[in-house]
Amino acid sequence: MHPSSDALDPSPISASASTSDHPAARSDFDQIFDLCPLPLLTLSPSWRITKASQRFLADWNLTSEACLGQEFLPFVQNQLSPSPVHVGYLTTAIDDAIAARAERTSKPIDTRRLSSWRARVIPVFKGDELLATMLEWHQGPLSELNLSEGDGEVVRPELSIDEAFRILVQAVKDYAIFLLDTKGRIATWNTGAQLLKGYRQEEIVGKHFSIFYGKDDLDAKKPEMELEICMRDGRVEDEGWRYRKDGTRFWANVVITAVYKDGVHVGFGKVTRDLTERKSAESRLIAAYEESEKLKSDFLANMSHEIRTPMHGMLSACALLLDTHLTKGQRDIVGIMDESGQVLLSVINDILDYSKLASGSFSIHSDLVGITSIVTSVVRSVQTTLPPTVHFELFLAPDLPKSVQGDPLRYRQILQNIVGNAAKFTEKGNIRVGVSVEKDDHDSYTVLTEVTDTGIGIPETASAGLFTPFTQFDATTTKRYKGTGLGLSIAKSLTELMGGRIGYRPNPERHGSIFWFTAKFKKIKSLQQIQDWKSRSIDKTGTILSLPDTQVVELQNHLHKAANLKSLLLVEDNVINQKVMLGLLRSLGFKNTALASNGAEAVKMVTSKPAAYDLVLMDISMPVMDGNEASKRIREAGINVPIVAMTAYALKGDKERCLEYGMNDYIPKPVDKKHLIRTLSRWLLRMKDYRRSFDEEMMSLRRYEQINATHGVAERLHKLSLDESALPRSFGSGTGDQASKQSAGQGDSEKESTPTADAGGCSETTNCTTSAVPAEDITPTLSSKSNKTAEISPKAQFDGQIAGDELSEGIIQGSQTPACFSTTGSVPSPTHTNVTTPLDKVPDPLGISLGDNDADIPAGSQS
Amino acid sequence: MSRLDDDVIYDMPDFGDHVDNGIFSQILEMDESDSDRDFSMPLVSNFFEQASETFIKMDKALVDVDLRNLSDLGHFLKGSSATLGFNKIRDSCQIIQQYGNGFNIDGSQQVDEDTSIKKIQEAITKVKLDTAELEKLMRKFFGY
Repeated sequence: MHPSSDALDPSPISASASTSDHPAARSDFDQIFDLCPLPLLTLSPSWRITKASQRFLADWNLTSEACLGQEFLPFVQNQLSPSPVHVGYLTTAIDDAIAARAERTSKPIDTRRLSSWRARVIPVFKGDELLATMLEWHQGPLSELNLSEGDGEVVRPELSIDEAFRILVQAVKDYAIFLLDTKGRIATWNTGAQLLKGYRQEEIVGKHFSIFYGKDDLDAKKPEMELEICMRDGRVEDEGWRYRKDGTRFWANVVITAVYKDGVHVGFGKVTRDLTERKSAESRLIAAYEESEKLKSDFLANMSHEIRTPMHGMLSACALLLDTHLTKGQRDIVGIMDESGQVLLSVINDILDYSKLASGSFSIHSDLVGITSIVTSVVRSVQTTLPPTVHFELFLAPDLPKSVQGDPLRYRQILQNIVGNAAKFTEKGNIRVGVSVEKDDHDSYTVLTEVTDTGIGIPETASAGLFTPFTQFDATTTKRYKGTGLGLSIAKSLTELMGGRIGYRPNPERHGSIFWFTAKFKKIKSLQQIQDWKSRSIDKTGTILSLPDTQVVELQNHLHKAANLKSLLLVEDNVINQKVMLGLLRSLGFKNTALASNGAEAVKMVTSKPAAYDLVLMDISMPVMDGNEASKRIREAGINVPIVAMTAYALKGDKERCLEYGMNDYIPKPVDKKHLIRTLSRWLLRMKDYRRSFDEEMMSLRRYEQINATHGVAERLHKLSLDESALPRSFGSGTGDQASKQSAGQGDSEKESTPTADAGGCSETTNCTTSAVPAEDITPTLSSKSNKTAEISPKAQFDGQIAGDELSEGIIQGSQTPACFSTTGSVPSPTHTNVTTPLDKVPDPLGISLGDNDADIPAGSQS
Repeated sequence: MSRLDDDVIYDMPDFGDHVDNGIFSQILEMDESDSDRDFSMPLVSNFFEQASETFIKMDKALVDVDLRNLSDLGHFLKGSSATLGFNKIRDSCQIIQQYGNGFNIDGSQQVDEDTSIKKIQEAITKVKLDTAELEKLMRKFFGY
């Protein structure tokens, strides 16, 4: 029977109506059919579509209008575009079903959508009359893939796919892919596994997979652990050595996956890849990287010396030029040369530091640290570079310890960098430096230092890379501001070496930045410790304060005036060097210079006349006795004459080594004139005379106490502590009136601007016009002077030297630069108003007083 | 340009890479005047005397295979040549000092004495040549 011959087919409605006599039952049936969760179609005997279930419409993505009343075959043609053969499957199934009056299922009809449909055909008869044909549709994968053809019965494509996978897995050569049973015994084996591991299928199946592991892994129970983890997490991945049948090993990546069938654990899938090639490539890369890192560090360290020598030559030539008569224009140009040279030198030093930090060869020294004096000294040195539109504020917490143990040079270096940055990027507003104790435990302080500026700030996007080496936060800035971009990364490494952290946040009040860092310092436990340091006589203020060249000229003038009265000892074995040094010293005005040609001679000369020399210039490597040994012996003899080492290799760290032998400072060789001037000035002009004994100091102070009660404090003090010949005549004529105001006026600090030189305790009169920080900020608030006097530290002499260092800086600056620095609420004194800061205590920049009470005296604060 | 300005630019002959001009000019600066070099001239001629004495000692030490002494002699002459800015001489002396001390020039250990001797021999030959050449230039400069 062919459907097209049935021309007088009744309408679909009438056909369906005839199935039931009761309208209610009919509508029930309609609804059941409609909502049945199967894709169903009914066909009239003439093969027109009379009904379609909602599921069918949804699966085939149709509306009921689009299918009801349609002729079935053209409809299928339209919807699925099957091949004629596949259409044949369908008609055959329907014809068969009707002929047999039984259900039939068609073969799958492939569609273009990578799936197939097959229809279960159910013919419905009333007696011999065919009422309708029901089609129940089933979706499946494309039938063309089926490897086993069913014989007209239900086809199960999944099996065939499994087969495909099996072949695929079996054929893979580059990966060992196999299954383990639940106990870890090998169940399958593929070609890849055989090639990789060397076992044939028949000899390996049934063995436990731990056979591939080395002894170490077995001892560590790695195979068991892997299965355990795999059961817990579903999979486990590992890289390690695995062993072949012949005992050789390969670097493997192994992935084990737990395999479940119908929710029951049936075993593990294991995929192993050979990464030996990659592994060796990696280690070659790493070795090459490490080698190049080492070469880089070595290169930098070696080159730095090579670069620095000509740099020093150039800079000293500049210094010489600046000494001569120049027109203003010429002076400007030479100034630029000199400044650029200094920048270049500091860049080289930065890079050297960085390479040392990177190679881990950077060491942190343990020494006395006077935090307040370092902070004020850094602030002071930066302050001179600021325009008048920028104000400095200094906050030192009251509980800040005066002296701690740590590395003063590195602390200073970090602070200098951060404050220097703040100054560089701030054109107006203020820069605030705050130092406080973040944590105070049994044997250490963690000191928090915060630098807040109102400068250009840092865009949020750039803040992440701030501490990355060679990074500057944007291109335009790089053009505008000089630098290597190493500063902050060095600061970061240094803080980490000092057990601290470093960070940045935006200034919450105004545009600008806050940089903060912490550093851990040990508490000083005993007097003995202090004594030890004293005997080593180390210049705690750290790095050489670089002064502008005009100031070097100024210094040279002061030095020249003082030189007549100073007697030096030059220790140098080489006659040429002797002559040059003598020539250099003579050109600076030094007429009384004794000579020793080796260390032993020097020791003899110094010890036989312990007070004869104001300073010793000491070559290091000499025959008979070298400079280190000679310095040690001089110190052992209890003579504290300043000793300045002259060393050929002036890398950072040389200085520290010299200091260890009791020397006070060093000059790199060949000796540069400017450097020599600075160093001699520091020790001959700024430092207090080493010969002054503790008793004398005491007496002077008692005298001061008396005088202070009457008048003329300033001049007396001035005499007391500074070598007059070294000072400009205009200096030091402050009045006792002012002085007593200062000492009495601590409580009245808001109105009274009485800057002082040094937080650590300034013993001398000073020209305070340039001293940036009002006295109340940095001078310990000492109300009872007399108590203090009675508690003079035996370190007074040494301390005074340090204090003096800060001081003469003030002298020099004071004579030529107006104050450009003030603190909120205070008015700086006009230039050349020499305010005398009386000694309200004995020089004690270390802040160590031996009296128990004063140990807790605040290092000064501003509220 | 004023007379004063002319004064500061004094004639510095070109000594090539023999001399660090920056350092050497500091030496010349110590003379009372440019015409009368009564400080620098004897100094430089002293240096060449010192150098030739040192070379004799070096030759002897080389015959004795006294590496220790060679190192000391190298260091000694290095000091004065560096002070005067005589870089080429300084560099050769550095080589002599290093190898005499059992190091390579980069500071790594050199255990082979024969290699060290050979390097020192080369350096001595070179430093003698350089010194002779520089002395010629200096004689010309100072006119002695």
